[in-house]
Amino acid sequence: MNVQDKSPAEAKPFKPEPARIVRTYHLTEDVKFFQVRFVDMQKALSFNYKPGQFAMISVLGAGEAPFSISSTPSRPGLLEFCIRRAGTVTNALFRLKENSLIGLRGPYGNGFPVEAMTGKDILIVVGGLGAAPLRSVLLYSLDNRDQFGRVAVLYGAKRPAEMIFREEYFSLKQRSDLECHLAVDADDTGKWTERVGVVTTLFPHLRQIDAPNTYALVCGPPVMYKFVIKELVKLAIPKNQILMTLERRMKCGVGKCGHCAIDYIYTCLDGPVFTYWDVIHMRELI
Amino acid sequence: MEKILEKRSLQSWMKKLDSWTIYAPRKDGSERWNYGIAQNDSVGLNFTVTTLPAKALVFPQREVFLEFLKTVEESQETLKVNEVIPGKNPVVIFGVRPCDARAVSLLDRVFSGDFVDPYYWARRKQTVLVGLACDTPPWENCFCLSTEGSPHSEEGLDVLLTDLGDKYFVKTLTENGEKLVNLAKGLFKEPRLEDKKKAKAVHAEAEKKIVRRVKRAKKDLAAKLKGLFDSPLWDDESMSCIRCGICTYLCPSCHCFDINDEVDSVSPLRGKRVRTWDNCQFPDFTMHSSGHNPRPDKASRLRQRLFHKFQYFVEIYDKTMCTGCGRCISLCPVGIDIINVLDKVSDHGS
Repeated sequence: MNVQDKSPAEAKPFKPEPARIVRTYHLTEDVKFFQVRFVDMQKALSFNYKPGQFAMISVLGAGEAPFSISSTPSRPGLLEFCIRRAGTVTNALFRLKENSLIGLRGPYGNGFPVEAMTGKDILIVVGGLGAAPLRSVLLYSLDNRDQFGRVAVLYGAKRPAEMIFREEYFSLKQRSDLECHLAVDADDTGKWTERVGVVTTLFPHLRQIDAPNTYALVCGPPVMYKFVIKELVKLAIPKNQILMTLERRMKCGVGKCGHCAIDYIYTCLDGPVFTYWDVIHMRELI
Repeated sequence: MEKILEKRSLQSWMKKLDSWTIYAPRKDGSERWNYGIAQNDSVGLNFTVTTLPAKALVFPQREVFLEFLKTVEESQETLKVNEVIPGKNPVVIFGVRPCDARAVSLLDRVFSGDFVDPYYWARRKQTVLVGLACDTPPWENCFCLSTEGSPHSEEGLDVLLTDLGDKYFVKTLTENGEKLVNLAKGLFKEPRLEDKKKAKAVHAEAEKKIVRRVKRAKKDLAAKLKGLFDSPLWDDESMSCIRCGICTYLCPSCHCFDINDEVDSVSPLRGKRVRTWDNCQFPDFTMHSSGHNPRPDKASRLRQRLFHKFQYFVEIYDKTMCTGCGRCISLCPVGIDIINVLDKVSDHGS
C-alpha cells in the first residue's frame, strides 16, 4: 500500500459544513447574489481563502457544484457568491430563501498570486459573469489599495441589465485612484451612458500601461479569451503575468473525480487560475 | 516467505481465516467470473479472469458518502450532515490477477496526496490481496509485459500463488500476507528446490504465452503521444465508438467518479450523497451547465483516455495507468483495440 500524507481518520474532504444564506437577491434575471455564513461562528471567522479560490456549495437533496468566491478575504466572516441559474443545483439554490441552510466546503484551487502581485499594476478584464471571481481580487486590491500600483478595470456585458454589480462599477468610475471602462454589446435601454461594443473595444481607451510591471486578470465566457489575450500580448504584458480563471465541470474539488482534468493537472488543485504561459503549454485549457 | 500449499487444503486455509470476509472468483449463474463471498461450497481458483476487476471491492461502483437530514421547526431550519465511513470489515480477496493488483496500487496513489480519500482507505487498509499468477494468459489480448508488469508481478499483492498442478507455490509479500499463512501454519509445507524451479518455469512459460505487445515503452510512448495531440488519428480511431463506456467501467485502474444526492423523504428532507463510477467517454462528463463542452467529441474523449493512461499519469507518477489486462479490447462491442491505436501512434510519421 502506498498510504501517503495525512491519516484518513482526520481527513473529511467530502463533508460540507452547514451554512446560512443571510442575504440573497437578483443581480440580473438569471443571476443571483448569495451572502452566506457558516452556522458555526468559529468556522466562519477561521475560513481562510485567497481571491480566485472557489468553494463547493451543496443544496442537500439536489447536489453539489463549484462556485468561485466573489467576496474578499479582507472582509472575513461572510462569503459571497454570484450564481447563474443553469443546472440542477443552481435551480434548487435559486428557490432557497434567506435563512435557509446549505452545505459549504472549501476553499479549493490555487487562487490569484496576490503576494507576487503586491506592488504591481493590475489590469482586470471582465466579460459577463466573469465579474463573479474577479470581484474578489478587485475588492481585495481596493481594501489594500496602498499595496498595489495602478488599478484598471475593463468590463463588458451583453446588455446594461446583465452587467452585474453595475452600481459598484459606476461608483469606481468616480474614484481618481483607479481607471474603469464599461461597455455593453448592445444598449436596449437607450439610457446607457458608457461605451457600446465588445470588451476588446475598451482597450484603446486604456491609459498607457507599464507592461512589465502589470498583472492582467481575465475572466469571461470561453469565446472571449483568445480576443482579450491578443490585446494583452499586443500591450506586451509578460505571458506569466496574464492570468485567467477558468471554468470546468467538477464533482469532488479535491483532485480525485477526474472531471476537471486537463493535461496532467487538475483544475480544482492546480487551477482555476492559469497563466497564458500555461495555456500555451497545456492543450484544452481554453 | 515461500511455502507449498496442497490445492485440496485451500478450503481449509480459507476456513482458518474466519475473522476476514473471504472473496473469491465465482460464476454466479452467468458465464462470467466475478468476485463473490466464498461459502463452504466448491470455491477453488479455477477461474480465468473476473469481468469486474478487484478494484470494485476497494472502490465500489456505488457507495454512500454522506447522510443528511434537514428539519424545519417554526420556520427555523436545522441541517445535519454525517459521513458514512465504511466500518470494520476485514476482507481477503483470493484469486487476484497480478494486473488487477498492480491497478489497485495505482489507485492507492490516486486516493492519497494532499487530500486523502477516507472512504477508499477505510476499505483498502482492511483488504488483503491473495494473487494468482497467470500460467496461461486469461485471454488473447493480455499485454501486461508492455505495461511494466508480468503474469507473475507481485506489486500490490500480499501473497502470490503460483499453480504447480496439484499444489500452489505460495510467496508472502507483506506482513499481512505472512499473517494469513501463519494462521494456518499446519497446512503449509516448506518448498523443495524443485518446487521453486517449477514455479520459475511456470512464470517463464506464462511470459512466453503473452503474444501481444505495445511497440513503444512508457517514456518513449508518452513523448510520442505528446506530439500527436492534434492528430486526425483520434477522429479515425474513435469513429466506431458507440460511447458505451465499457472500456473505462471495466478498467482496473480507471477511477473517475460522480457524486449525486438521493432523496429518501422530502419533509423532513432526508437523503444521502452517493459516489458512483463515472466515465470520461460520456459527453456530459466535461459539459458545463452552460452547455459549453471543452471535450465535445468522441475523438477528444478517446484521446483523453489514452493520454491520461499513457502520458499524463506517466508525467505525474512515472507509471503507466494501464496494467495490460486486455478487458477494454476483449469486451469493446465495436472492437476498438488500444494496442493497435498505440501502435499507430508509435508508427506515426516513421
